[in-house]
Amino acid sequence: MGLISSYNIRSMTVRKGTAAMTAMGIAMVVAVFVMTMAIAQGFNGALVASGSNENAILLRKGATSETVSAVLRTQLPLIQALPQVARGSDGHPMASPELVVIIALPRVSDDQPANVPLRGVGPLAFEIRNTLTFVEGRRFTPGSREINVGKQATVRFKGLTMGSDVKFGGSTWKVVGVFVDDDASFESEVWGDVDLMMPAFQRDGYQSTTVKLTDPSAFESFAAAIAADPRLDLKAYPERDYYEGQSETTGTLIRVFATFVTAILSIGAVFGAMNTMYAAVAYRTREIGTLRALGFSRARIVSAFLVESMALAVIGGAIGCVLALPVHGLSTGAMNMTSFSELAFKFRITPGLLVNGLIFSAVMGAVGGLLPAIRAARIPVARALREI
Amino acid sequence: MALIELRDVTKSYKRDAIEIPVLDRVSITVESGDFMGLMGPSGSGKSTLLNLLAGIDRPSRGSITIGGTEISSLSERALAAWRARHIGFIFQLYNLIPVLTAFENVELPLLLTKLSKAQRRDHVMTALGIVGLADRDKHYPRQLSGGQEQRVAIARAIVTDPTLLLADEPTGDLDAKSAGEVLTLLQRLNEEYKKTIVMVTHDPHAAERASHLLHLEKGTLVEQVVQR
Amino acid sequence: MKFVGLILKSARRSKRRTALTMISVALAVFLFSALRAVLDGFDAVSAASSSTRLVTIRSTSMIFSMPTSHAEIIKSTPDVQDITWASWFGGIYKDPKNFFGQFAVDPESYLRMYPEIALTDPERQAFLEDRTGCIVGDGLVKKYGFKPGDKLTLQVGIPVYGSRDFDFTIRGIYQAKGAAVDNQSMMFHWKYADERSTQKGQIGWVVTKIANPDRATQVASAIDAKFANSPNETKTQTEQAFSASFASMLGNLNLLLGSVALAVVLTTLFVAGNTMAMSVRERTTEIAVMRTLGFPAATIFVLVVGEGLVVSIVGGAAGAALSRLIVNGEALGLTGGFIPAFGVNNGNVAVGLGLSALIGLLAAVIPATMASRLKIVDALRRVA
Repeated sequence: MGLISSYNIRSMTVRKGTAAMTAMGIAMVVAVFVMTMAIAQGFNGALVASGSNENAILLRKGATSETVSAVLRTQLPLIQALPQVARGSDGHPMASPELVVIIALPRVSDDQPANVPLRGVGPLAFEIRNTLTFVEGRRFTPGSREINVGKQATVRFKGLTMGSDVKFGGSTWKVVGVFVDDDASFESEVWGDVDLMMPAFQRDGYQSTTVKLTDPSAFESFAAAIAADPRLDLKAYPERDYYEGQSETTGTLIRVFATFVTAILSIGAVFGAMNTMYAAVAYRTREIGTLRALGFSRARIVSAFLVESMALAVIGGAIGCVLALPVHGLSTGAMNMTSFSELAFKFRITPGLLVNGLIFSAVMGAVGGLLPAIRAARIPVARALREI
Repeated sequence: MALIELRDVTKSYKRDAIEIPVLDRVSITVESGDFMGLMGPSGSGKSTLLNLLAGIDRPSRGSITIGGTEISSLSERALAAWRARHIGFIFQLYNLIPVLTAFENVELPLLLTKLSKAQRRDHVMTALGIVGLADRDKHYPRQLSGGQEQRVAIARAIVTDPTLLLADEPTGDLDAKSAGEVLTLLQRLNEEYKKTIVMVTHDPHAAERASHLLHLEKGTLVEQVVQR
Repeated sequence: MKFVGLILKSARRSKRRTALTMISVALAVFLFSALRAVLDGFDAVSAASSSTRLVTIRSTSMIFSMPTSHAEIIKSTPDVQDITWASWFGGIYKDPKNFFGQFAVDPESYLRMYPEIALTDPERQAFLEDRTGCIVGDGLVKKYGFKPGDKLTLQVGIPVYGSRDFDFTIRGIYQAKGAAVDNQSMMFHWKYADERSTQKGQIGWVVTKIANPDRATQVASAIDAKFANSPNETKTQTEQAFSASFASMLGNLNLLLGSVALAVVLTTLFVAGNTMAMSVRERTTEIAVMRTLGFPAATIFVLVVGEGLVVSIVGGAAGAALSRLIVNGEALGLTGGFIPAFGVNNGNVAVGLGLSALIGLLAAVIPATMASRLKIVDALRRVA
């Protein structure tokens, strides 16, 4: 394989123009692939990061998301009493009753109204979600009209920066702190005291309760205890599973879209590669005849041209990956279909994705190069040698 | 006045910083009705001379006048138009366009004129008739033998009734029989139709048919022979 | 156009190469047309929206409700001619995946305000008379096979409506005249929903009709002024503005689809450009011969560009035609709910063709320039 592959690779440089165009065609497809998948990954990543395996979330039985769930005030003490619920340093059970509503705020990018999630939380919410840290200001004081905003939300929506006054629910609230949480979905949210949110939005109950478990392994018994209590028409989910499920609808939609667009584009690029390889074979007919006459088998010719095609494609793929890289970390947003709220997240390119991109380009090269490679091997030797 | 007049024509090529002379102060006249053969060893400049006559290359120095027009001073565009009207070129490798039929190949130069489709058809069939291939008009070059291809090429060269026919080693790629047919045709064009022909050749059989012979060596004229 | 023959035959030179390139362009145009069709679908809803209807929602967000008393107050605003209201029910029909719009409405006024909802008179009567009756759009008939007289049960999705299932009888199938109303929704009596609500007397939004579209802004401000600084502040806008903001909720679609379209065009340009370059390179001798025959450089340029255009436009036409046939939101089952009906119209086809012509032109320009600038003697010398 050695001699013949290096021959092929060096031959590529002879027809530089054509090789470059083909590589660029493949580069474009891989770039689109990586960028669109980075959206799906970013979206999914934001939601998955929101879940901790130490936490569990309680929703009404049959509810598919917080927005259609209900937890009564009277149910909270029953939950807090369970032994699987961890206790804080002062002995308080770590349970946060929560309520998510939506307020419409204009987007910075196009000034159009977006659905911003507003989460009323219990006082222990920050202890339960202990990966959360403040980059500006401090936690809101329970009982006051103070709110905290996630970093992504301050960037994406207007009027949420530190110190701003935000009007909703018939009164004015002040932003006293901005937090980050590893790009989790919480960074798209505005947090405030749930007990003040409820009357402000004319609600009389919570939607969910998030608890910190004494230990991740306590989930099974916790879920069983909840199911066993007839006063609680609730169901427990590991927090991570819940958020993963939340991303499914939109995530799938994005991925389907990405696959559709990439598939169509890739056909075009593969055809481009095919054209190039056919031309290469035609151009080098006499050389191929010579190699065959010297004793190189058909199979070797086929594999040599396949390698050439794939090598060209992978170079294109690498260029495509480089072209796509700048989007990593770019903030954008999409509507989460299940909660009807806008989730801000960042494009996320992972090494795995880049590898997939390269593999994809290699596949394109293989498919595009296969038929021409077979043709190269099939040229009758005598005729090939006569070719000018 | 002579049909073709070359005065002190020099052609050199630049390779990096060096000037390589291919033709050195060549002066030639060709009368109307001559069948001129250009001979000489490889590198003597005969093909270059032919290219200059066709107007597809320009002399570095000197002047070329054909039919009263000093072509060496024409612009690119004017030269193309002049060439279309006055020159018929026959290549060693025929150079027919593979995706066109014999008819369409011969018609090609006529597309540059204002003739109607019917008029073009007339000219093409006449030309094909002269070369004896009227019945092959719908064939593609790959369906013709080498000799037949060259005859179609000749038909293409004469279809515009040009002032001058230039042939670059027309028999160079043909077997003896086909070569003979082609040469007979050229001779006929010269004697019967009074076409002026300048032909570059290695082939002594071809040289025999010419009325005049010019020998070139290293870019200069060394001998002129009148055969007929 | 005697050169057209030459151009066409040139393209046939390598049938396989021409075919592959045509398919690439076809796919690019197909994709582009499909994306444009989706965007146009959203625009169509906006465009068809009435400029004489105003929508009033809670200013904080659509998901909050307002008391029915708001409707009375709004009605008394000057220039308001007619009024109706509705609420989003958001129930589940058998499986959460079966998503379609369900609206609790004030039946008589709603049908009056939305003449786009076309019902036969008997069906209209039957609906108005049955408290648990409902009407469904003919788009839902295709999906679920609904017939008048069928029972329809919805599980509660939004907790405020209680926990018992809602049973309805289908009293009519409506058609949607125009894009302002979609044909995949269901409407029922608001009273039925209110009976079971944990919060009585709440509605989702109010729709008013005004006489003069030019007065829309003033009337909207007048309405909102009535509730300013109250716990139930409102935001009123024309139906058009409302639909537009709704579409934008899904994200910056224009930007997304525009970027994809750009990527598609660039990729195809590389493929088509490559083809043209190869085509020209193979024909160096031929081009030299034609120049020798007297073809001017400009003509050669036109011939090459012409070839590029022919290949691209034929491919583009195929792609556009295919998209016109296949891309139809309803047929593909993608519409309903938030995504409006879309299909490739003649305008999209024209744009697609224009795009393919542009691709052909851009791809051929450089090879054509190189072909026309060819030095005849060099090209001839290459072979012999």
